[in-house]
Amino acid sequence: MLGYLLRRVLSTIPVMALVALFVFSLLYVAPGDPAAVIAGEQASPEDVEKIRMALGLDRPFVVRFFEWSFAVLSGDLGVSMFTGLPVTELIGQRIEPTLSLMLVTITLSALVAVPLGVIAAWKAGSWWDRMFMALAVLGFSVPVFVVGYLLAYWFALEFDWFPVQGYTPIAKGFWPWLQNLILPSIALGFVYIALIARITRATMLEALSQDYVRTARAKGVAEGAILYLHALKNAAVPIATVIGIGVALLIGGAVVTESVFAIPGLGRLTIDAIVRRDYPMIQGIVLMFSFVYVLVNLAVDLVYVALDPRIRY
Amino acid sequence: MDRRMFLKSTAGTGAMAAAGSLSAPAIAQGSSRVLKFVPQSNLANFDPVWGTQYVVRNASQLVWDTLYGMDSKLVAKRQMVEGEEVSADGLTWTFKLRPGLKFHDGAPVLSRDVVASINRWSQRDPMGLMLRAIQKELTAVDDRTFRWVLSRPYPKMLLALGKVGTPCCFIMPERIAITDPFKQVTEYVGSGPMRFVRADWKPGALAAFEKFSDYVPRNEPAEWWSGGKVVNFDRIEWVIMPDPATASAALQSGEIDWWESPVPDLVPLLRRNRNVRLDIADPLGNIGAFRLNHLHPPFNDVRVRRAVQMALSQEDYMRAVVGSDDKLWKTIPSFFTPGTALYTEAGGDNLRGKRDLDKARALLKEAGYSGQPVTCLVAQDQPALKAMGEVTADLLKRLGMNVDFVATDWGTVGQRRASRNPPGQGGWGMFHTWHAGADCATPVGNIAIRTAGEKAWFGWPDNPAIEKDIASWYDAKTLDEEKSIIERVNRGGMEHVTYIPTGFYLAFQAWRASVSGINSGPLPWFWNVKKA
Repeated sequence: MLGYLLRRVLSTIPVMALVALFVFSLLYVAPGDPAAVIAGEQASPEDVEKIRMALGLDRPFVVRFFEWSFAVLSGDLGVSMFTGLPVTELIGQRIEPTLSLMLVTITLSALVAVPLGVIAAWKAGSWWDRMFMALAVLGFSVPVFVVGYLLAYWFALEFDWFPVQGYTPIAKGFWPWLQNLILPSIALGFVYIALIARITRATMLEALSQDYVRTARAKGVAEGAILYLHALKNAAVPIATVIGIGVALLIGGAVVTESVFAIPGLGRLTIDAIVRRDYPMIQGIVLMFSFVYVLVNLAVDLVYVALDPRIRY
Repeated sequence: MDRRMFLKSTAGTGAMAAAGSLSAPAIAQGSSRVLKFVPQSNLANFDPVWGTQYVVRNASQLVWDTLYGMDSKLVAKRQMVEGEEVSADGLTWTFKLRPGLKFHDGAPVLSRDVVASINRWSQRDPMGLMLRAIQKELTAVDDRTFRWVLSRPYPKMLLALGKVGTPCCFIMPERIAITDPFKQVTEYVGSGPMRFVRADWKPGALAAFEKFSDYVPRNEPAEWWSGGKVVNFDRIEWVIMPDPATASAALQSGEIDWWESPVPDLVPLLRRNRNVRLDIADPLGNIGAFRLNHLHPPFNDVRVRRAVQMALSQEDYMRAVVGSDDKLWKTIPSFFTPGTALYTEAGGDNLRGKRDLDKARALLKEAGYSGQPVTCLVAQDQPALKAMGEVTADLLKRLGMNVDFVATDWGTVGQRRASRNPPGQGGWGMFHTWHAGADCATPVGNIAIRTAGEKAWFGWPDNPAIEKDIASWYDAKTLDEEKSIIERVNRGGMEHVTYIPTGFYLAFQAWRASVSGINSGPLPWFWNVKKA
C-alpha cells in the first residue's frame, strides 16, 4: 500500500511537467497581449512595446519556459503581471473560499443525492423514481447561473434569509461562513446532485438484483439494512468514482458560481487572469488545479480499499 | 447516530437557522463610517502611471493628491500648490507647495518628491512628453518650492498638471517616484485623504482605504477634483463585482452603498426600488467610435472612409448601446465632447441628416472597391463594443462590403490592433472603441484625433495639416483662439475621416437612499459623501 502510494505520488511528476509544458505553450501561441491591457486604452503603440519589454515578453519562448520551470521547481510560481504580487500569495488569498465552496457543495450533494438515488432504485418504476429522475434531468439541464440567480432572488432579495453575495472566512465564525455558502453550494451542487443520484440509482439497481440481497430478504433482514448496509456498500465504488470525477465538474462550475455570488475564489481569479492574459497567474492556477485533481484521484483510489476489501494495490 | 442525537442536532440546526433569520437584517447593515462601493471594474494594479486604466486613476485619487485639480468647468485649480509664478516671457514657472502636506508614512511632502513625481509622470503622459521636449530644467529650489524652466512658453501648464485624463500627475515620495515608469511601484505611500490598506487588498475582490488623519484639506468647498477633500468615512471598501445582476441585487438588499456603473438593462429595476437613487454618473459621458486602418485597402482610400461615414446612422449605434432611453444619448458630428467649451460641429455635415446608402455605394464604386474583405475586430466581452460591432457589420453588408467579422475578446483586440500588417496577415481593417468625454473635451486627452502617421494612435492616420493645427492649440492664449483652432481640427478630421464617432452616450450610477452628497463627474469623488 505504501509502495503504491509512493508510486502514485511520483507518477504525478511527469503529469505535472506535461501540464506545465502544455499550458506554457498554449499561452505562448494564444492571441492577446497583457502589455496592451496594462497600458490602457489611450496608450501609444510605443508605450505598449516598452511595457512588453519590461515584462520580458519579447524574449524567446525557450528562455522564458526554462526560467519559469526552474522557478516553479523551487516553489516560486512567479509574480502576477498586473498586480505585481506573488502568484502564490494571490492563490493563497483565494483558496479558502473555493475549497469551502467545494467542501460544502460535495457534502450537501452527497447527503442529498445518495439517499435520492437509493430511494429511486428501491422504488424503481414508481412515481418517486420518476420524480427523482425528472429532478435529475432538470439538474443536468438548467445552467448553474440560472439556478444561482433564482436562489439569490428568492432567498436573498425576497426572503432576506441569506446574503446576496460575498464570503466570510471561517475564522469569523461557522454560521457566518456557512450563511454565505448555502446558496452558492445549492446552485453549484444542482448538477452534481443529479449526476450522483443517477449513478447511485443505476448501481443500486444492479446491487439490488444480486443473490445476496434476495438471500438477505429471505432471512428477514430489515429493508433499511438491506439498502444501506448491504446494497449501498457494494454499490459504493462507482459512486465514489463519480464524486471524485465530479471535482473537475465543480472546478468548472465554481468559476460561474463565484461570479454570480461574488465569492473571491480561485474561479474568479482564473477568469480575471485569462481575460487580462496574466500568464504567470494562469500558469500557476492551472498547475495548482491539475495537482489538486491528481490528488483527488489518488484519494478516490484509496477510498476504494476502504469500501471494497477485495481491492489490493 | 441514534434518534435522540438526531433530534438534538436538527434542533441545533433549526436554532441556527432561526438565529440566521433573526439576524438577517444585519446582512444589509453597515456602519455609517464605512462606505461600500462597487467600481466599474477590478482594481488589478495600483500604479497610476504604469497602468493607465480609469479604475486605477479613480482609486489613486483617494490615495495620492495632485498639484492642481479640475473643477466642473474643467479649469485647473490649486490643490497641493499654494501658489505659482510665471515669468514675463512665460519660460520660467515657480511653484510653492502648501504648508503641512504629509505623506502617509508621516514624512513631509517636499519639492524633491514633487520633482521626482513629475519626472516619472512626464515620461508616460502626452502633455508631459511635450513639456519634457521643451524642458531646460526642473529643480527643487527649497523644501516647498520647485522651478520648471522651459525653452518656449507652454500656456497649458496648469492643465497638464491638473487634468483628469490618464495618466494624472499624482505626487508620491521620491523613493517611489524614481521607479522606471514602465515598471510597477510596489509601495503605496500616498499624499491624499485616504491610505491604501495593502494588507486587505485582494485584487479581483476587495480594495480598502482608511482615512488619513493628517491630511490637510483646502479651505475652499470641494468641486470635482478641486477644493477641500473632506472624507466623511473611516474606511471605504471597493467591492469588486463582475456580474451586474449580483451588484444590482447587493445594492437592493443594502449590502453595498454605491454602484458606479449599473448596466442600462437593470436601470428600470433599480428605479422601482424606493431605497435606491439613480443619476447620471458623468455628464461628460462617452463617445463611441470605430477606427479605420489608414495603411491598407480598402480604408487607405479616403473615399471608402467617407462612404462609410456618410452611410452610418449614429442613432442605430446609440440605441444598440444604451437601449430605448433617448435621454441617454445624442448624435454628434464631432470629435469633441458636447457641452464643453470647445465643442464644435464644424465639418460634420457628412454625419448629419438622412443617410444616403446609394450615394455611399456610388462612392465605393468610384473608389474602385471590389469586394476586398474588411477585417472588423469586435470584442465580445465589452457589451458596448459588441453592440457597435454588430451595427457596423450590418451597415457594411448593406453597402455591399465583404465583412470579415472577427468576434474575439478585448485582450486580443488590444494585441491585434497594434499590428501594422495587412488585414489578411494578422492585421485589421477596423475596430470599435470608446473615449471618455472628459478626455475628448480638449486635444490633451483626445489622442484619437491625432494624425501623425506612424506616431498616431492605432490606424495611423496621416495628415500634417491637422497635426499642425493641434500643435497650435497648445500655444493658444485665449478661448476664442482655441475655439477657432478646434473648428479647423474638427473640420479637417471629418474630411480626412481620421476615425468615425458613433455617438455620445451617458451612463447611470446608483446608490442607497441612505447615502448623500454623491455628485456627477468624470470619476466618482468621495469627498462630501455621507451615509446616514
